[in-house]
Amino acid sequence: MPRGLPKFVHLEKQMPEKREAEARRRDFHEIYAEFAAERAREQASRCSQCGVPFCQVHCPLHNNIPDWLMLTAEGRLEEAYEVAAATNNMPEVCGRICPQDRLCEGNCVIEKGFRSVTIGAVEKYITETAFANGWVKPPRPPRELAQSVGIIGAGPGGLAAAEELRRRGYQAHVYDRYDRVGGLLVYGIPNFKLEKTVVARREALLREGGVVFHLECEVGRDLTLTELRLRHDAVLIASGVYKARDFAVPGIGLRNIFPALDYLTASNRAGLGDTVPLFDDGTLNAAGKHVVVIGGGDTAMDCVRTAVRQGAKSVKCLYRRNRANMPGSQREVQHAEEEGVEFVWLSAPEAFLGDEAVTGVRAVRMRLGIADSSGRQAPQVIDGSHFTLEADLVIKALGFDPEDLPTLFTAPELGVTRWGTIKADFRTLMTNLDGVFAAGDIVRGASLVVWAIRDGRDAAASIHRYLKAKTAAPAAAAAE
Amino acid sequence: MDRTRPEDGQRFIEDYRRNAAHLEGHGLYDPRDEHDACGVGLVAAIDGKPRREVVAAGINALKVLWHRGAVDADGKTGDGAGIHVQIPQGFFKEHIRDTGHEPGEGRLAVGMVFLPRTDFAAQERCRCIVEAEILAFGYGIYGWRQVPIDISVIGEKANATRPEIEQILINNTKGTNARQFEIDLFIIRRRIEKQMLAESIRDFYICSLSCRSVIYKGMFLAEQLTAFYPDLLDDRFVSSFAIYHQRYSTNTFPNWWLAQPFRMIAHNGEINTLLGNMNWMRAHEPRMAHAWFGDHMQDLLPIVQPGSSDSAALDAVFEVMVRADRSVPMVKTMLMPEAWANQPSLPQDIKDLYSYCNAVMEPWDGPAAICAYGGQWAVAGMDRNGLRPMRYTITSDGLLIVGSETGMVRLDETRIVEKGRVGPGQMIAIDLRNGKLYRDREVKAMLAKERPFGKWTKSIKKLDGLIKKGADERVELDREALRRRQLAVGWTLEDLEMILHPMAEDGKEALGSMGDDTPLAVLSDQHRPLHHYFRQNFSQVTNPPIDSLRETRVMSLVTRLGNLGNILDEDESQCRLLQLASPVLSNGEFEAMRAYMGATAADVDCTFDASKGDGALREAINRIRQEAEDAVRGGAQHIILSDKATSAARIAIPMILAAGAVHSHLVRKKLRTFISLNVRSGECLDVHYFAVLIGVGATSVNAYLAQETLADRHRRGLFGALSFEEVVQRYKRAVDQGLLKIISKMGISVISSYRGGCNFEALGLSRSLVAEFFPGMPSRISGIGLNGIERKLRELHERAYGEDIAALPVGGFYRYRRGGETHAYQGALIHTLQTAVATDSYSTYKKYSEGTRKLPPVSLRDLLDFKPKRPPISVDEVESITEIRKRFVTPGMSLGALGPEAHETLNIAMNRIGAKADSGEGGEDPARFKPNANGDNPNSAIKQVASGRFGVTAEYLNNCRELEIKIAQGAKPGEGGQLMGFKVTEMIAKLRHSTPGVTLISPPPHHDIYSIEDLAQLIYDLKQINPDAKVCVKLVSRSGIGTVAAGVAKAKADVVLISGHVGGTGASPQTSIKFAGTPWEMGLSEVHQILTLNRLRHRVKLRTDGGIKTGRDVVIAALLGAEEYGVGTAALVAMGCIMVRQCHSNTCPVGVCTQDPKLRAKFEGTPERVVNLFTFIAEEVREILASLGARSLNEIIGRTDLLFQVSRGSPHLDDLDLNQILAQADPGDYPRYCTLEGRNEVPDTLDAQIIKDAQPLLVDGEKMQLAYNIRNTHRAIGARLSSEITRRYGMAGLPPAHITVRLRGSAGQSLGAFAVQGLKLEVFGDANDYVGKGLSGGLIVLRTMTASPLASHENTIMGNTVLYGATAGKLFAAGQAGERFAVRNSGAEAVVEGCGSNGCEYMTNGTVVILGPVGDNFAAGMTGGMAFVYDPEEQLPARLNGETVLLQRIETPYWEGVCRALVQEHADHTQSRWAAGLLNDWDREVGKFWQIVPKEMIGRLAEPVKREALAAASA
Repeated sequence: MPRGLPKFVHLEKQMPEKREAEARRRDFHEIYAEFAAERAREQASRCSQCGVPFCQVHCPLHNNIPDWLMLTAEGRLEEAYEVAAATNNMPEVCGRICPQDRLCEGNCVIEKGFRSVTIGAVEKYITETAFANGWVKPPRPPRELAQSVGIIGAGPGGLAAAEELRRRGYQAHVYDRYDRVGGLLVYGIPNFKLEKTVVARREALLREGGVVFHLECEVGRDLTLTELRLRHDAVLIASGVYKARDFAVPGIGLRNIFPALDYLTASNRAGLGDTVPLFDDGTLNAAGKHVVVIGGGDTAMDCVRTAVRQGAKSVKCLYRRNRANMPGSQREVQHAEEEGVEFVWLSAPEAFLGDEAVTGVRAVRMRLGIADSSGRQAPQVIDGSHFTLEADLVIKALGFDPEDLPTLFTAPELGVTRWGTIKADFRTLMTNLDGVFAAGDIVRGASLVVWAIRDGRDAAASIHRYLKAKTAAPAAAAAE
Repeated sequence: MDRTRPEDGQRFIEDYRRNAAHLEGHGLYDPRDEHDACGVGLVAAIDGKPRREVVAAGINALKVLWHRGAVDADGKTGDGAGIHVQIPQGFFKEHIRDTGHEPGEGRLAVGMVFLPRTDFAAQERCRCIVEAEILAFGYGIYGWRQVPIDISVIGEKANATRPEIEQILINNTKGTNARQFEIDLFIIRRRIEKQMLAESIRDFYICSLSCRSVIYKGMFLAEQLTAFYPDLLDDRFVSSFAIYHQRYSTNTFPNWWLAQPFRMIAHNGEINTLLGNMNWMRAHEPRMAHAWFGDHMQDLLPIVQPGSSDSAALDAVFEVMVRADRSVPMVKTMLMPEAWANQPSLPQDIKDLYSYCNAVMEPWDGPAAICAYGGQWAVAGMDRNGLRPMRYTITSDGLLIVGSETGMVRLDETRIVEKGRVGPGQMIAIDLRNGKLYRDREVKAMLAKERPFGKWTKSIKKLDGLIKKGADERVELDREALRRRQLAVGWTLEDLEMILHPMAEDGKEALGSMGDDTPLAVLSDQHRPLHHYFRQNFSQVTNPPIDSLRETRVMSLVTRLGNLGNILDEDESQCRLLQLASPVLSNGEFEAMRAYMGATAADVDCTFDASKGDGALREAINRIRQEAEDAVRGGAQHIILSDKATSAARIAIPMILAAGAVHSHLVRKKLRTFISLNVRSGECLDVHYFAVLIGVGATSVNAYLAQETLADRHRRGLFGALSFEEVVQRYKRAVDQGLLKIISKMGISVISSYRGGCNFEALGLSRSLVAEFFPGMPSRISGIGLNGIERKLRELHERAYGEDIAALPVGGFYRYRRGGETHAYQGALIHTLQTAVATDSYSTYKKYSEGTRKLPPVSLRDLLDFKPKRPPISVDEVESITEIRKRFVTPGMSLGALGPEAHETLNIAMNRIGAKADSGEGGEDPARFKPNANGDNPNSAIKQVASGRFGVTAEYLNNCRELEIKIAQGAKPGEGGQLMGFKVTEMIAKLRHSTPGVTLISPPPHHDIYSIEDLAQLIYDLKQINPDAKVCVKLVSRSGIGTVAAGVAKAKADVVLISGHVGGTGASPQTSIKFAGTPWEMGLSEVHQILTLNRLRHRVKLRTDGGIKTGRDVVIAALLGAEEYGVGTAALVAMGCIMVRQCHSNTCPVGVCTQDPKLRAKFEGTPERVVNLFTFIAEEVREILASLGARSLNEIIGRTDLLFQVSRGSPHLDDLDLNQILAQADPGDYPRYCTLEGRNEVPDTLDAQIIKDAQPLLVDGEKMQLAYNIRNTHRAIGARLSSEITRRYGMAGLPPAHITVRLRGSAGQSLGAFAVQGLKLEVFGDANDYVGKGLSGGLIVLRTMTASPLASHENTIMGNTVLYGATAGKLFAAGQAGERFAVRNSGAEAVVEGCGSNGCEYMTNGTVVILGPVGDNFAAGMTGGMAFVYDPEEQLPARLNGETVLLQRIETPYWEGVCRALVQEHADHTQSRWAAGLLNDWDREVGKFWQIVPKEMIGRLAEPVKREALAAASA
C-alpha cells in the first residue's frame, strides 16, 4: 500500500505451479500446487494499489483485494487472512473456483500490457496458510441471542448466511435435502477444482461455532415452509436451482444421455467413497467411452474434465457459439484443452443417433449473426453442414432452472417470477412472506458461487436488521 | 457604459456601506479578513537634536514610495499615508498666542483627533468627552485647533469619508514631568476611547495624544501629504525623527483611521499569529498590572481594541509594554525576537535575554518591518525571517535613513558613510536622549546587561532531560483490547497503513496524489472524526508561508507549561516554568512528566456513560469544564485531560471537543494562563489531529493509542530491525515536522503563537458549537452540533463493542473501497466517461453526467439546484459550443508530473478549440513554440510562474497568451512541491535547467512575494517582460480570500483563479490533500461578493477549478461568479487516467502521469478525446442555459438568485446553511462580469525611454551605449527591452553586451528582471530587491559611484532575493547583497562581496562567488550548481545548512580556475578594490575560500571536486 513501489513494471505475472496435463488427467487432485511463500509475496507485490481498484469493483463480494495483496506482499498473512475473511466466508473456495479472468483479474488495470496481478491463487494461498496456522476461527458471537433463523440449503449462500448470523449471536439452523453439507460445492464441482476436504473443513468450523445442520431434511417432504416459519424467527431460502434445462431433438430419449449434475454427482459421490450403483455399473462412468458434452458453461467444463479423468476414449465439447462468446471461463477451456478435450465450436446437436443407447451425435455448424441490442450475437444454422460425432455417453450441460418451489414446499402463497425464481425485494431480499428471505441462485437464477456467498451475506445483514427492528418494536410499543 | 467617469464618491460610500452590511450579515464578507502592507521608513538625527531636514527627508521619502501603495481608479484616493514627528512646541505655542492665550512654560501636548464630520451633535459630544477626560485628570485645555487641510488633493471617495480633523492642545497645568505626562495622556486616551465605545460614537479616532510627538495621516497619495496638511511645510516643524508610512490595502473603502503610522509603530507586513496573540492577550489581561498604571489598569483593558487590524493590535500591545517602563528596543525584542535557539554563535547573555523574553509572552510572528518611536528611542526592526526589506544609510552629518527601499532620500554619495540592511530579527536603534546609534548586536548586548536574565532563566525547568532518560515505553493493551479501542475511535486499516505506519517508519508524513474526491465531512454518511471538520489555514499573497524544511532554523516547537505571570513585570518569577522541546509526548514521556508534576496536576476524565440517555455528552462536557475550573481555583498548575477510561461502558469524548471546551471556558473565566492543558487522546493519530488539538488550546499532546498501535505492529515485526524506542521517536519526529509544516503554512514559526489561535476554518460544524468551544473560528455553513456528534459517537461505540469483528474496516477515505467513503470518481463513471469521449457519444456522456449527479452529495454544489426565473428557451438560441469552450482551461499540471505525451495532448486539444492549457511549473520545450507539421499547436497558452521558477526564461514568458502566478495549489496550499529525482529525466532536467536524477524542490513561498505590494511588483515585472499577456493569479479557496483577491485586483491582475481544496496533485502530504483549503463554491462566491463590493469585479476575470466534471458544475460556477472554468482531473480521465493514485511513484499504468518509457508507451489519450470532453461539457452547459432562459454564460454570471438549496444534509445536523454563499452584492451600474478588453495596463518605467532611444538596435541591430539617471521609482529596468530583444532576435540572439545601459542612482526593484543576452546594465549607485530576477542571459554590473568613500565589501549594494530563478547571465556587484541571494538560481554566474541569510538557497545550477561574509542558513536545499565563499574568519561552517551540500576547501586546479576567473571578471567589470586585492594576493587568499558542492552532484560533475577523485582520474 504505502510502502515499496508496485513491482509490475519489472516483475512478470506468474501462477502457482500447474501440474503437467499428463499427470493431472490421471487423478482428481487439484491441478495447481500451492504458491511458495516467497512467490506469493512477489506476485502480490505486483499490485499497483489503485485508488479505484477495479478488481474490487468487479468482485461480487467487493473483496478488498489490494489490501490483502499488500499485506501478503509484506508477509503479514494473518492480517491478510483477516481482511480477506472480513468480506468473504470462504476465500479458499473463491480462490479456487472463481472465474477470476472474468472478474477481478480480468479488470486489473495493469492487465493492459503487463498481464494482471495473480489474485485467485494468492487468495487461496492466504487462506490455506491461515488454516495451516490455525488462524481460521469458528464464529465467536460476543453474546447469544434467543432469536433463530432457519436456512434452507447448505450450499455456499446458506452457509455464508449461517456464519454471518452466528457472528451476530443468532441461532442458525440449516436444512438440506442431501446428506452432506456444501450443496453444489460437494456434489457439483469436481475435486480437481475443489477438493472435498476444503468444504468439510468449513462445515466443521460452522458446527463448532454453533450452526445446527438438519441434513436429509427436505422442506415439503419432511416439514413445510409454514412449520419452518413457526419454528424460527426468520427463514432464508437458499435452495439453489437444480432443474436441468433440456432440449427437444430426435433421440433425446436414448440411453446414456444424462444431465450434467447426475453425471457430476455420481463422480463426486464415488470419489467420496459412497456406493453409487449407476456409477459402479459403468453407466455414469466415462471410462473407455467416447464422450460428448453439450454446452459451453463452467458445468460443461467440469464434465469434460471429469470424463478425461475417468479415462474416456475421447471427450468432445459441443458449443453453438465460438470461444470468445462462451459463458465459461477461458482458463477452464485452456485447462481442458491441455488435458486433451476437443472443442467443437459453433456446432449444435441436431439429433442423437442410436437404437437404444446413444451411439453418436449428429450436429450442425453454426455461424454468428450480427449483435442484437444486448450485444450478443445470435447463432444461426449453416444449412447443409451436418456432421456426426461418435458418442457412447452424452452429457447435457445446458444450464439449470428453478424447481417449482411453491409446490415443492407446499407453500402456494410464496411469490415467484415467471421464470420460477423467487420474488424478493432487491434491497431487503425478503419475499412476499413476512420474515421469509431468499438468496442465491433461487433468486437470481443459476450463477456463480461467489454471487451465492454475496447474497447469503446480504441476506444475513438484512435478516439482522429485520430481527433487530422486530425486537425494538415491542419494546417501543411497551414504552408508549 | 462610460468607465472613464469616476464614480461619485458619496454614492460609492453609501453603496459600499449598504453592500458591506448586507454581505457581513448574509454573505461571506468579514472585515476582519482585510489585510494591508506597505512601505515604511524612519529618518532620525543620531544626535537626537531636532532638525528640519529630518522632517523634509521623511516627506520626500514618502513621495517615492507610491509604487508600494495602491491608487483608486480616481487617481487620487490612496490607501493611506502618514508621518509621525516630534511636536514643534514653538509652532503650537505660537498658535495659542494667536488665539489670545499665553501658553504655559512646560511642554504642551497635542492630540490629533478625527471627529465625525457630518453629524454635528456627535462631533460636539466627542469634544465634550475629550475635554472632560483631560480636565478630570487635572490638565488644562488651550483649545481646539482646526487643522488646515486642502481637500482638493484628495479623491472623492476619500473626501466622502473624510473626518473633521482637529487638534486638541493640552496644558500641563500639573507640571508633571514628560514621562508621567505621557503615561497620563495614554490613560486619558484609553478612557476617551472607552467612553466613545460606550456611547457608540463612530468615526471618532485619536491619531496621537502626546506631549512628544504628533501624527499626520490620511487617505491621500503619499506625495500629497504636504499638500493636504500644509502644517508640515512650516519650517518650524522640526524633529529628531520622522516615521513615515505608505499603505496598500486589500479593500477599496477609504478608512481614514487605518492609515499609519500608529501611536508607536509603523508596520510593513502582516502578523500571522494575530488570532492566537489576541486570544493570549485576553488571557494575559487579568494578571496585568504595573505601578505606573496603578488603579487605571482597568481603563486600559482590553489592550487590543475589537476590530483592530493586525498592525493596530501590535501597536496597542507595543504601546502598553513601552508605557509600562520597558524600552522600545526591549519591547521589540520581546514581541519580535530573533530566531535565536539555533544560532550557535550567539553569546550566552543574549540567549538568556531571548530565553527570558520567551518565558514572558508569545512572539508576534509574521513578516514585519517596523519603525517605532517611544520617547527616548527610535528603532527600526525586522521579523525573525527577514521577510520585508529594510535598508539604511548613515550620513557624515549624523542622519540615519532607514526604509523599505534604498534611495528614498536623495543624498550626495560623498555624504554617505555607511549603507547597510537590517537583517532578520535585527534592529537598528537610536538613543535620542543620549544621541547614540546602536547597531543590532550593540542594542542586544545593552539589553542583556540590564537584568540578570541568565540567573533568572535558570528557574526554567527543562523537562526533556528529565523525561527522556527515564522514559519507559510500556505497552498496556493486548491485541483484542487494542482492536476494540481502535474500532471505538473509528480507525481503519487505511489509517494505520497509509498514515500511521509511514510516519513511524520514515519519520515523515505519507504522500498521496490526485486530490480529494470524497464528501466533505459534514456530507458524509460515514463516521468522520472531529478533526475532519477543521480546515487548516494558510497564507497566500498578503503574507508568505515559511519554508519549514529549509528554513527550520527560525522555527520552534518549544512549549512552556505552567503558570504564566504578569507580562508587564520584569522579574525572576516569570521564569518559574516547565519547558518541553516539543508539545508532542510519547507515552513514557507523558508518564514521566505526569510523575514530575505530582500534586500540581489535576486529572480530568473525558469519557461518558454509554448507558445514559441523550444529552449525556453535553452533561459530561459541563462536568469536565467544572472539574477543570475547580482544579485551577484549587491551585493546580497543570490539567490533564484524558479519554483513556474508554470501555464497553464508557464512550470517549473527542478530545478536540474536550480541549476546546476547557480552554475556552478557562479563557472566559480568565483562568487559562494559570495552568497548562495536557491532552491524552485515543483518536489522535495524524498530524492534523495534533495541530487541531494545539490550535484549540492544548499545551501538550500524547497520542497513547497511536503508540499502543505502533507497539503492536512492532511486536509483529513490521518495523524490521528498528527498536521500539526508535519507532516512537520517528513517529514523534514525523508529528513534529508535520506541526512545523502546518504552522509554517500560516507563516507562523513558533508553536506558542499558534497555540489557542484556532487557525482553522470550520467546515460543517454548527455555528453555536463553534461559538461555544472554538470562538473566533469562522464557520460559514454551520453543520453538525453536539447532538449529532453524540449520535455518531454512540453508533461507533456500538459497533466497536457490540459485534465480533476480526479485522478493522479497510477504510476508503484516501482511496476508494467499497463500503467506505463515496468517491466522486467511481469505477463505472470513469469507464462511462472514457467510452463517451472515445466514441464521441454525447448520450453516453449524459449517462456519466447523470451518474455523477446521482451520487450521494460530495460537494456543496450537490446541495444546490437551479431555480429558473424565466421560461426556458430553445437550445438553438444559446451561444455556440465554440464560444463556451473558449472559457475552459486545463489547470496547471507540470510536465514532470504528467508524461510528455499527456502534457502535449492537452495543449493541442485546448489550442484546437481556442481554449487554454496551462503549462504548469517547469518550463516548456522551445520546440513547442512552433506549430507541428500537421498544424497542431503544442504550445501551452498559459505559462505558469510558480515558486520554483523552473525554466522561467524571457523566451518562455514571451510565448503565451497568459501568465499565471501560482500562489497556492488546492492540494497543498502554503506548501512547496517536489519532483523526485527518479522523475527528473534528461528532458525535464533540460527544461528546468537542472541535473537529471537530482530531486527538484519548489519552495513554499515565492521569494519575491512576501506581501501584497510584492505581488503587485511581480505582476508589474511580468507585464514588462511580456507586453501583451494577461496576468492571472492563482489562489486557493479559504475564508478571507475575498479581500486577498481585492488586493490582487488592485495589483493589476487581469484574471483571478480560485482553486478549490479538492485539486489534483502529483504528490503531496495526505493531511494537506485532505485538510487544507475549502471548496471553491465558498471561495469563489466570497471573491465575487467582495470584488463587487469594492467595484473591482468588472476589471478582472474570475476563473475557478477543483473537481469540475460536468456541465452542471460549470453552470453553478458561473452562477457563483466565475466566467472561466478549469477542468483537470476529468481531462486526465478522458486521456485514460483511472485514478490509480500512484502519480508520486512514477508507476502510472496508463502512462498519463509517469516518466517511465515503458509506461509512457501505454498512453492512449488523444486530443480528440479531450476535445470531445469539452464539447460535451459545453453542450450540457447550453442545455442548462436554455432551461434557465439564458442565451449566454455572461447573462448568468453571479446570478446566485437562480440557485437554491435543495438539501440541508442529514437530519442529525444542527443546520447546513448555504445562504452566505448565495448572497449577492449590488453591483451598482457595473456588470457582474469582466468587461475589460485587453489587460489592466501598468505604468511605464524607464524602458519606455530606453526603447525609444534604442531604435537603432531594435531596428538595425546596431551596438549601442545609453546612459540615464535613475531613482528607486524606476522599476524592472531592462525587462521591457529584453522582451523587445527576445521577440526580434531571440533570447540568445545578440552577442553579450551588445547594448550597454549605464544607470546612475538607486535602481528600483527588479533591476534587470529577465534580462537577456545582449543587454548589459551597469549601475553606479545601488539597487533594491530582486536584482536579476529570472535573469535570462543578460549582464548586470553594480558598483558605487567613483566618488563614493564607501568600502565596497562593507557596503550593501542591493536588496533581497537577487537572481531569484535566474537561468543564465552574469551579475557582478561590488558590495553586499541582502537575504536570499541567488535563491533558486539555475544558471547564472555571479560575484558579490557578501550576502545575508539563506544565500544560494535551493540553487540548482550556476556558479556563485561570494567575497565576504554570508548570513545564516547558507546553501539550504541547494541541489545543483557551485558556490565559493571567501571566509577568512571561518564563520561559514556555523552558518551553512549542510543537509544537501558538502563544504570543502578548493581542492582541484580546475575549480580554482573557475573561481579565480570569475573574481577576475568581477574586478574587471566593477573595478572593485577588494577583489583586486584578493587577486593580487591570490596564492595567500585562495586557501581561505570554501567550495560548496551539492552532495547529489558529486558523482555527476564532469570535473571532480575531490583531490582523491582527481588523482584517481589521472592515475
